[in-house]
Amino acid sequence: MTIINSLKYYWNVKLTGQPFLAWQRRQAESHPKISARWRSDILSPPLKIAARTRELISRHYLEGRYAAGHRPVAWVTSGAPVEILQALGFYILYPENHGALCGVRGAVVELSGAAENAGYSTDICSYARTDIGSVLSGKTPVGRLPPPDLLLACTNICQTVLHWYRVLARHFQVPLILIDTPFVYSKLAEHSLEYVKIQLENSIPAAERAAGRKLDYRRLKEIVQLSKDATELWQEIINRGHQRPAPLSVFDQFIHMAPIVEMRGQKATVDFYAALLKELDENIANGIGAVRNERKRLLWDNLPIWYRLRYFAEYLGEHGICVVASTYTNAWGELAPFMNTQKPLAAIARTYISPILNQGTGYKLATMQRMVTEFQLDGIILHSDRSCKPYSIGQIEQRNRLIQEFDIPALLLEADHDDPRAYAEAQVASRLAAFVEMLDD
Amino acid sequence: MPINIPQRKAVIQDIKSRGGMVAAVLPIHYPRALLRAFNIFPVEVWGPPRVDVSLGGSQLQSYVCAIVQNALSFIKMGALEIADLILIPHTCDSLQGLTSLLIDMVKPPSPVFPLYLPRGRREEDVIFLAEELQSLYAGLAELTGRRPTDAELLAAIAREELCDQLSGRLYEQRQTLGLGNLDFYRLLRSREYLPAEEFAALAESALAVEAAPLPGTPLLLSGILPEPMMVLDLIEEMKGLVVADDFAGCGRRLYRPGLSPEPFRRLAESLVAAPPDPTRGNAIGDRVQFLVEMAAKTYARGVIFYEVKFCEPELFDLPELRAALKERGLVSLHIEVDINNPLPQQTATRIGAFLEMLNH
Repeated sequence: MTIINSLKYYWNVKLTGQPFLAWQRRQAESHPKISARWRSDILSPPLKIAARTRELISRHYLEGRYAAGHRPVAWVTSGAPVEILQALGFYILYPENHGALCGVRGAVVELSGAAENAGYSTDICSYARTDIGSVLSGKTPVGRLPPPDLLLACTNICQTVLHWYRVLARHFQVPLILIDTPFVYSKLAEHSLEYVKIQLENSIPAAERAAGRKLDYRRLKEIVQLSKDATELWQEIINRGHQRPAPLSVFDQFIHMAPIVEMRGQKATVDFYAALLKELDENIANGIGAVRNERKRLLWDNLPIWYRLRYFAEYLGEHGICVVASTYTNAWGELAPFMNTQKPLAAIARTYISPILNQGTGYKLATMQRMVTEFQLDGIILHSDRSCKPYSIGQIEQRNRLIQEFDIPALLLEADHDDPRAYAEAQVASRLAAFVEMLDD
Repeated sequence: MPINIPQRKAVIQDIKSRGGMVAAVLPIHYPRALLRAFNIFPVEVWGPPRVDVSLGGSQLQSYVCAIVQNALSFIKMGALEIADLILIPHTCDSLQGLTSLLIDMVKPPSPVFPLYLPRGRREEDVIFLAEELQSLYAGLAELTGRRPTDAELLAAIAREELCDQLSGRLYEQRQTLGLGNLDFYRLLRSREYLPAEEFAALAESALAVEAAPLPGTPLLLSGILPEPMMVLDLIEEMKGLVVADDFAGCGRRLYRPGLSPEPFRRLAESLVAAPPDPTRGNAIGDRVQFLVEMAAKTYARGVIFYEVKFCEPELFDLPELRAALKERGLVSLHIEVDINNPLPQQTATRIGAFLEMLNH
């Protein structure tokens, strides 16, 4: 940490950047403008909170640009137990979120190409390729990513992240903390839970060394509480989709989930979701749905197709179809009950071994069955994601069983969450059209 | 001298006729001795050839590797009904998915036992694995009604440790065994289904031979497994000699004995300390060092990375491995294969060109 870097940080982030972003947000809030491209004929106006979402994400990446040399920086996997790092004052970067942002901004082909030119196969996860390509080329749509002082990989979402972070550890020559979470096929074994807890305890000295300070357990408890509060609010937001019309579509959720993924444990995140919930409740009271003429309601399974969010939202919206529930966004809310400030490390262990992606195909099927009933769904889109095998394996059978049990159409759509080269435009369009027809049968 | 290796089918029938139980075991690492202590004989399933792949394809996406696709097809064909149980180590996301699919959806007639392998070499990993093995022991005890004592477990461990040691010696004496590439790997891979006693006898008879050093350009192979095995003959025809390997199914399973006198801990120590393997989360640097040392010891001139399509654990390491080997003067070739298809002519041409380059 150097004085020059700290001065740069305060000047660019605290004194100029954040006030500017806040001003920009206030402008957007006081003079709301709807883009000419917005399909107001089929979709309700964008949520007012969108300006605040933009501000939060921009602030996060702005901080990242100037974090190196001022704050310790950690790169972590999206399902990693970040509370310890938050309590140690790390700036935390989520390469997967950065990958998603690159997907939305159409930067994946170039970045992934840089990784492929270095020998990385197109058969590995497109988030990983995008991230490695960004590291190798130095390019990113957010200006600059701070190099990590520490890497934290948690296997609770896939094994891919460990392979990916081993590459990063070799590239950056920084310590890699591994939190290995044994897969829960049916019942969570006590020795698995204990294993995760011991790893968490043992990770603390390495994290403290990288941070240059000792962990304050009181602060850790506060952060766990903030994580829990934000997660509970997010779950409430998702559950507002029970309403007819649903005030929030899954495509909105994909955008507004960024803070719960990359800013867990922060007060600003709790405030943000409280404000979003308030806005949704106002919309519900006024009968405003995300899709103007909601006739049919769907479930989305698996990650989004980041580079086609708008297409799906608009195409389905045109037919009065709102995607109101998603196993993916739900994954960030359903863990709230496990969080507990009394025994934070034990609670963190239980929370982070339990995500949907660390549980069997039967658990995911049960989640979808529950959602079909609770959200009164008319159909399901299962995105068979080439880049995410843990999420995708089992979908074929899950689809068959859901069709059989509920007598509703379910579409298995093969694509990739980030790489548009694995997306067959015409094929998707024709299959989607046929699916929409089936919904009306 | 050709070695007479019993056929897999005959071995299984023999086990069954003697009242033994059979465990179908999927890749890669597992405690053979623990199974044997229960009089359960492991028979490994590495994506068997000649299966109706459409059976697996009806429940698995096309981007899942052929080893997993074939295993599911094989199970759905009923080919594993002879097995009293199916053991699936947690090797990768695809095998995890297959295990889950079998437990929750397919429900084959034989019970499915998952085994989680920790992704590190830390003390907590050894402790966890020892507990995981105890949990497997409890499951097997419930299935068989037996409870092997520590002494029985240690006796089974000693038998397998002897086989590990003999496998290591086969590699050490590789060039004077008088075995061509294919025969050498047939012998090594017979351990995938032979009981330890039979494998030990075969290995000892092979080791008793001292032949003139085999000719050929010394090569290392790396990857998951040498399938289709005709690649080994092909390399020999092109004057290449496979002197050692870093195959997940072969060289990465040269386990050293554990140190503890306590059986579960001893098994765990041995598995955790095995040669570096991406599926167990070992660092890329460890793999580089392992390959470089292996090449130095065997005078190998190059490495062929012979990979199964869609195998993420292997694919992630490749660029760094190849670059690091190149820095140390070891050239490499990357080949991707679909184990369901015969070797394409293009692959033969590339291997030929690679060997030619090594010889000049």
